[in-house]
Order: sequence, then structure tokens, then C-alpha cells
Amino acid sequence: MRCSRSIEALLTALAVIALAGCTLQPPKPWEKGDLARASMRFDADPLETKLTQHIYQSKEGAGGGGTVGGGGCGCN
Amino acid sequence: MASVHEIHLCGTDRAHAERAAHDAIADVKRIEAKYSRYRDDSITSAINRAAGYEAVAIDDETASLLRYADRCHALSNGSFDITSGVLRRVWDFKRQPPRVPSQDEIDALRPLIGWQHVEWSDDHVRLPERGMELDFGGIGKEYAADRAATICRERGIAHALVNLGGDVRAIGSRADGSPWRIGIRHPRNADATIATITLDDEAVATSGDYERYFELDGCRYCHLLDPRTGMPADHWQSASVVAPLAILAGSYATIAMLACDRAPAFLRAQRVRFLLVDKEGAQIASH
Amino acid sequence: MAATSGATFAATRTESPKASSERSAALILAALALPGILPAAALAQSAPDERVIALRYYDYRDWQPGVDRMSVKSPSLYAFVPLSDSLTVEGSLVYDSVSGASPLYHDAVSGASGRGIGDYRSAADAKVTKYFGGSSLAVGAAYSHEQDYISRAASVEWRTWSDDRNRTYAIGFGAAKDRINAVEGVNAPVLDQPRETYDYLLGITQVLDAASVVESSVTWSDGRGYFSDPYKLHDARPNHRRIFAWLTHYNRYFAAPGATLQLGYRYLDDSFGDRSHMLEASWVQALPYGLTLTPTIRYLTQAAAHFYRDPPFPQGFVPGGLYTADERLSAFGAVTLGLRVAKELPHRLTIDVAFNAYRQRGDWRLGGDGSPGLAKLSARWIEFGLAKRF
Repeated sequence: MRCSRSIEALLTALAVIALAGCTLQPPKPWEKGDLARASMRFDADPLETKLTQHIYQSKEGAGGGGTVGGGGCGCN
Repeated sequence: MASVHEIHLCGTDRAHAERAAHDAIADVKRIEAKYSRYRDDSITSAINRAAGYEAVAIDDETASLLRYADRCHALSNGSFDITSGVLRRVWDFKRQPPRVPSQDEIDALRPLIGWQHVEWSDDHVRLPERGMELDFGGIGKEYAADRAATICRERGIAHALVNLGGDVRAIGSRADGSPWRIGIRHPRNADATIATITLDDEAVATSGDYERYFELDGCRYCHLLDPRTGMPADHWQSASVVAPLAILAGSYATIAMLACDRAPAFLRAQRVRFLLVDKEGAQIASH
Repeated sequence: MAATSGATFAATRTESPKASSERSAALILAALALPGILPAAALAQSAPDERVIALRYYDYRDWQPGVDRMSVKSPSLYAFVPLSDSLTVEGSLVYDSVSGASPLYHDAVSGASGRGIGDYRSAADAKVTKYFGGSSLAVGAAYSHEQDYISRAASVEWRTWSDDRNRTYAIGFGAAKDRINAVEGVNAPVLDQPRETYDYLLGITQVLDAASVVESSVTWSDGRGYFSDPYKLHDARPNHRRIFAWLTHYNRYFAAPGATLQLGYRYLDDSFGDRSHMLEASWVQALPYGLTLTPTIRYLTQAAAHFYRDPPFPQGFVPGGLYTADERLSAFGAVTLGLRVAKELPHRLTIDVAFNAYRQRGDWRLGGDGSPGLAKLSARWIEFGLAKRF
């Protein structure tokens, strides 16, 4: 079933994060210099992310993920 | 802070760099004015004037520095003590001919030394004895270097070097990606270096017995005084330490100078890079 | 008073290593607590204090063997402005101008000659973010307009982070109201057809160590209304579509080569049946003189929608039933190869150029047969970007 598959995926996601949580060595603030690099950010170029996502949405079945309220377009 | 101060900025346009440098220098001057014990209008002077009397109100910045000094005092088992400046009353490094104070003279100052006696909180500080003094000289310059670095970085400077009298804080690497290369001064020859260390987003500070000292009967007496004995440090000629912040590098170097033969173990426990030069001029490095 | 000689000094140092290391940590924490020691960038999630203006231009083209299909030229503008220490506003404008024929989708043409593509699309969005001590609230709105399609959307997203700022949680809600007006559709005019979509998001960002960070989110989307393609003959899709997406990104910095590895995975489950897995990887390599080179590879494999029928028409077509021959809902695999070059210039300007090549093929699908009879669709897009910070 679609629904149970979704839940299964969600549980997998949580398990991966929880597992990561057990072995973490969270850095101290002064060790975060590398994390502040633009290449390490997930939102470094919002415009590029949005436009590229739009291209894939016009070519592939269902797209998106990771954002809410982007609105639809006539391309699907 | 009558020594060489310089800020190198690279990989950016001139006007932008000048603005960042201007802001950084203004902040260094602000800290110098605020904490100098030579200025009557500094917070240090206000606290020292009130010694033995009332508590003095302090701001967050001063409280943070006191907290830092407190942690240094604890880590060093009392050798790093911002009340030890009163020892300068009997140790005069400019006096001619030089003389070593008597044990009685040193003992007379003992009631005025001891951070553990200072009453302090987040908003007030009080020195309990008349004649006690606080001295931020051991941390103020390094704190200023770290702040100057942050100011440059927040203005988008990715590659810079802040040098406040030999305490050097690097922002990033050099513009071409290679680390900064800093020479370590020869403790007995001001024009020579004994080693080169690399810095990438780190700081280096050196504490040495050559900054202010006198020699008498073949012994060197330097300005780094141990508050617990009242005597100068005499185990190392110099201690250079690389740490993430200039203020840490400076404190580690000072503590190492006063830690005698335990200095290498102390520095290894802090997981920092270091270079110690002992009485005979032999070098001990972290690796 | 403390010790009076060097000998007692040594004796006082017989403490446990644990006590000593706690003192070491206490000193470092006190140093970091000094005002102005940590750059604002290290305090992730506080309101950013620099303004950004970015221009980006996409030149997109796709084709099938022997036939040029569509080309889109798309200039866009993005701005980010902090209004105060705790309030930021950002927004973007995009304009697509479309030319050329529309995709044929199949080798065997069945009368569905593709839609009459609107020759433009304009879109605007804006977002205001308010930062509180340990959390932020963002409210956004988006609008896009095509000849035959109007979309209005709103969103709200709340983020909160741990005291050490190593973990962030996000909760989001979005709603979109779309309207379709295809006067020239082959399925008879489609007038004023509505579509409403609600999106829900749960996300977590976790700093793993000093050089790696992971972000994972799940999104549910629940849409009701008109989902068919008015320009495709006999196209009839369900009027209810639920999408579940699990998206994970992992970034890791390697100091020695001065590079960042960016990995992404997306699992997507659609009530239409076109389930997909997407994997992508980028290597962001810093080079001397402010240059950055970023090769990217992306792979997608998707199943066909349960009402998708392979050509030729009327294979599998039941009058009155659900039906689509849209290639986007077929089973295929797709690969993108991309290369980006960016350079930092004086005056805090950054420019970048990117080239991306994309190809879909039925037999590139993983773990199942692809839909047969599909022409190999290829696309490429070139990007030019310019960003100024101040």
C-alpha cells in the first residue's frame, strides 16, 4: 500500500537520523569555520535551487520535496 | 600596547579592505582605552581605585573577561592571576642598577595577590584589600586581536592577518590557499628566527623572557612573575603556542612559561601546537 | 595564600586528568563567550546581516532524435535584505519565454501533438523571516502566471534550533490555489478549472562533526482538482493526488583538497503510481584565485503512473477511464551531468557559469522495465549567475 510505504520510508528516515545521533561528535563553536562555508550550506543559492527544480518538474512525473507552498505550474 | 600592530588584508578590493581595517583598528583602540591601567578613565583604573572600598559596576564585556581570567586561574592552578601586577612594585625592570627584591618585600605584597579573594559577579567586581590591582594586560591585547579578526571576517574579508605586538591571528589562509607562514623570534637574537610555523584560521602567541628583564650575577630575571612565589619564570626562554584563538594562545603560552618542566605535558593536554625553548636554547616542539 | 615555592607548586598538580580536562574546556568556553569573538557566520541561524542581489539567466533547450523541441530563455532576479537584527525579507522574479515546438513524447504520434505551450511564464515570490532567540518564523507568498495557468501559494515555516546550534527542526505548511484556463485545449476548452494543494513539511538539520552536516525532510502534498493535460487527446487523470517525498542532503568538507562533497537522495511516492528515486552528487572544488569548479551527476529512476499507457493509441485506452500517454508519467531513467565554474571577484561579486546535459531513456530505469517506444529525450541548460553582497 502506498500509505504504509510512506510510513516505512519515514521510519527509515528517522532511524538514519537517530543512528547518526548516536555517533555524533558535534563540534564546538570555534570548530564551525568549515561549516560556515557557502559550499556547506543547503540554502546557499535559493534562486538556482528553485529554477533547477522547476526544470526537473517539467520533465519528470512528480517533483519537488523539501519545500512547501511553492505553487504549481502548467508544466505538469 | 606600544608595539607593532598591523593588519594584512588580501584578495579584496581596496576600499572594502580599508573600511574593514578602519573598523578593526577602531575596536583595538577602544579596548586599549577601556582596559589600560595607565589611563585614569579606564574601567581598570576605576576598579583599582575602589580597592578595599565599594564594588564597581561592570558591563557584560568586562564580566566576560573576568570570567575568562577566572577560568585561566583555575586551569593554571593559580599561576595565571590578573591580580599579580602589584609585584611590579618590588620588581622594577627599569631600575639601574637592577636589584632582586628581598623575601620580606615580596611577602609584604602577598595579602594583595590572589584572584580567589576577589569578589565578582556578572555585574559587579570588588577588590577586598586597599592596594590590590587588576591588570588586563595579559589578555586584553589577545582579545583585541580576536575581535579585530572577527570584525574583518564579518565584513567579508576571507584572508587576513592581524598582528598585535607579536600575537598573530589569521583569518583563513593566504589568498592563494596556502597557509600563512609566521616566523618565531630567536629568544636571544631579536633579528633572527628559530622556526617558521604555519597558520590557517588560527592564532599564535609567544611569551618570552626577553620582553622586559634584567640580568644580575649571571641570572636573568624577566617580567613574567609567578604570583605564588613572587619570583620570575626561569625555566623557559620562550613559549610559542598555536591555538584557535589569540586569547587562548596567549594564555597557554603564559601558563607554559610559569609551569616549569610541566609545560610540555600541560600544552599537550590542551591539544595545541607549541614550540618551547629551554634555558640552554634547546627546542621542544609538539611534534 | 597559595603555595610558597616551586616544590609545593608541583605537589598541587596531582589532580585527576578529568578535572584538568574540564578546566581546559571551561577556559575555551569562557573565551568563546567573550563578545565579538565568534563571527556571526559561526552562529548559524541568527539573522544574516548582509544584503544579496543575484541575477541568473537560464538558457534551456530540449530535443528528441532529429527534432528540436523547445527552448526557454529565463532571466531571473533574487534579492535578500535584512530589515533589522531579527527581520529579513527576500524575494525573486522569474520570467520564462518559451519558443519552438512542444515535445512530441512518442515516436508513434497518436494525434496528441502536444500542448499549445504558453509563450511565457512569469513568477514572483517573497518571504519574510522573523528571528527570535532560538527559533524563526517565515511567511511566504508565491504567484505565477501563464497564459492558461495561474497559481497563488502561501507558506509558513517555523524553525527551532538546539542551544549549541548543531540541530535544527523545521515544520512547514503550504497551500496553493491554482486555476487552469485552456481555451484551445484538444480535450474541448477547459475553463476555470481549480486545483488546490496543501503541503506539510517536517525537517531536521544535524551537524555531525566539524566537517559534515546532514539535512533530512519529509513532505506530504495533498492536491485536489484538475490534474489532466488539456492539450493531450483523451488525457484523463485522477482528481486527487497525494505525494510523499523524503529528501536527504549530506555535505562534507575535505580540508586537504579544499573541497566539499554534496550528496542528495530523494524518495518520492505519488498516488498516481510514478514512484521515484533520485540520487545526486556534487564535488565543489576550491581552486586558487577565487575559482570554484563543481562537477555534478544526478540520476533518477521512476515507475510509470498506473493509468499510463504505452503508445500506440488506443492501446489500453478505455473510454471514460483514466488514461495518459504523457512521457513524464512513463517509466524511465534519467541522467544529468553538470559542470559549474564560479569565480569571486573584487567588490564582493561572484559570477558563475554552468552547463548541464540531461537525458531520459526508458531502458535506464532501475529495477523494472522502462516504458517502450519512447524517443530519447535530451535537454541541456546553460546558466549565467551574478551575485553581489554588501
